[in-house]
Amino acid sequence: MEYPQIDRYAGLASPIHRWDPRAKLVAILGLIFSVVLITDLKMAMVGLAVAILLVLVSRIPFRFVLGHLAGVSFFILPLSVIILFSYHQGDEIARFAFLTVTSGGLEHASLIAVRAFAAVILIFPMISTVRFDVTMKALERLRVPVRLVRMIMFTYRYIFVLIEEVQRMLRALTSRGFTGGMNIRTLITTGKLIGMLFVRTLERAERVYRAMLSRGYEGNLQTLVEFKMRKTDLLKAAVLIAIAVALNVL
Amino acid sequence: MHISDGVLSPQVWVSGYVVTAALTAYVLTRKTDIAELPKVSIVTAALFVASLIRIPLGPTSVHLILNGLAGITLGLSAFPAVLVALILQALLFQHGGISTIGINAVILGLPALAAYGLFAAGTRIGIRGRYAIFGGLAGGTAIALGVLFFSLCLLTTGEHLEDVIPFVVVAHLPVIAIETIVLGALAQFVARVSPQALRGFRPR
Repeated sequence: MEYPQIDRYAGLASPIHRWDPRAKLVAILGLIFSVVLITDLKMAMVGLAVAILLVLVSRIPFRFVLGHLAGVSFFILPLSVIILFSYHQGDEIARFAFLTVTSGGLEHASLIAVRAFAAVILIFPMISTVRFDVTMKALERLRVPVRLVRMIMFTYRYIFVLIEEVQRMLRALTSRGFTGGMNIRTLITTGKLIGMLFVRTLERAERVYRAMLSRGYEGNLQTLVEFKMRKTDLLKAAVLIAIAVALNVL
Repeated sequence: MHISDGVLSPQVWVSGYVVTAALTAYVLTRKTDIAELPKVSIVTAALFVASLIRIPLGPTSVHLILNGLAGITLGLSAFPAVLVALILQALLFQHGGISTIGINAVILGLPALAAYGLFAAGTRIGIRGRYAIFGGLAGGTAIALGVLFFSLCLLTTGEHLEDVIPFVVVAHLPVIAIETIVLGALAQFVARVSPQALRGFRPR
């Protein structure tokens, strides 16, 4: 179980890091939505190149990005392999026993995979170059409904606390001889563990809530971050939005 | 069951956003007191963290989805809870995608609401072991419905994505069994240790 460390490199200096978070969010989100709408493989490749270029400009180590691609690969690779063998259109280019690959199938499978990876790689220049709480503040300034943003902020904050709690509970289990093999016992024990986590969480929630009320919480949060939009911020956004439009129009 | 970016047709993921926005707005503005948000969020964090626990399965391991647990513990608030968990999973761990946040919330969140209804109705029946039985049923049903909605998304997108459905269904059969047993044990345990917790703080 690992702690989220998406904003581990938020302290670096780069043109992407210096970019106003509001402009950055809007522009890169625009680019992500543009990438998923692409229907032409060549344009999708251009999108992927733009995504990789943005990561390079942001100076986020590429190793860090690759380490985070496991989830997407686990979903996309089997899916594109199945499509590769089932989508039959155009010339036959390879045959393995009863499976055939056609040029149309290869193109379609690649299109899906390239779009998926381009979109996910774009998350890093957008999210990894700012502290996560600042990203949330920027979302709030962009008029994303405040209740939703608050909920994301609180949840994010407590993920760290509760990971620690679960690790403590797992350590206690292990010290009592729990091995976690593949059997019903493991499942029942896991159920009870999560049940205990849940009971403790409810008690914690009540304590936290009372502590917040006693400090004057009325549903509003104060943060110290202030944003300032400069001409260069808008220029960077304009360039990326132009690319986003071009990817689908050209 | 997190669909990533670049797979579904725009019609499918745009409708996902429409349904998710409407349901979330309804629950968060009409059914939730803003002062209660911290409590709902802390339970959401617990669900998020519990879903990081890995269960051994053959040569590999799977993680729990727990949308059924969200329904049992949060009632209607399970929908925004699932949405927030998916947003965080997409942003922090790159599971799922950005354009698919809405449709993924529908795929997992609607079954969470069904689990809530099933559990609330079932535990009113006065039979022995009702918490274990309906906890397990709610857990298994939430996954099975999720697989159904997932498959429908692939089917409506077309372009041979429907060929993937048999693989998706088979891959999730063990997950349905695992989640049924885990939630059955969980509900029975909580009912014994802290019965009021299962009533939780479902908003009105």
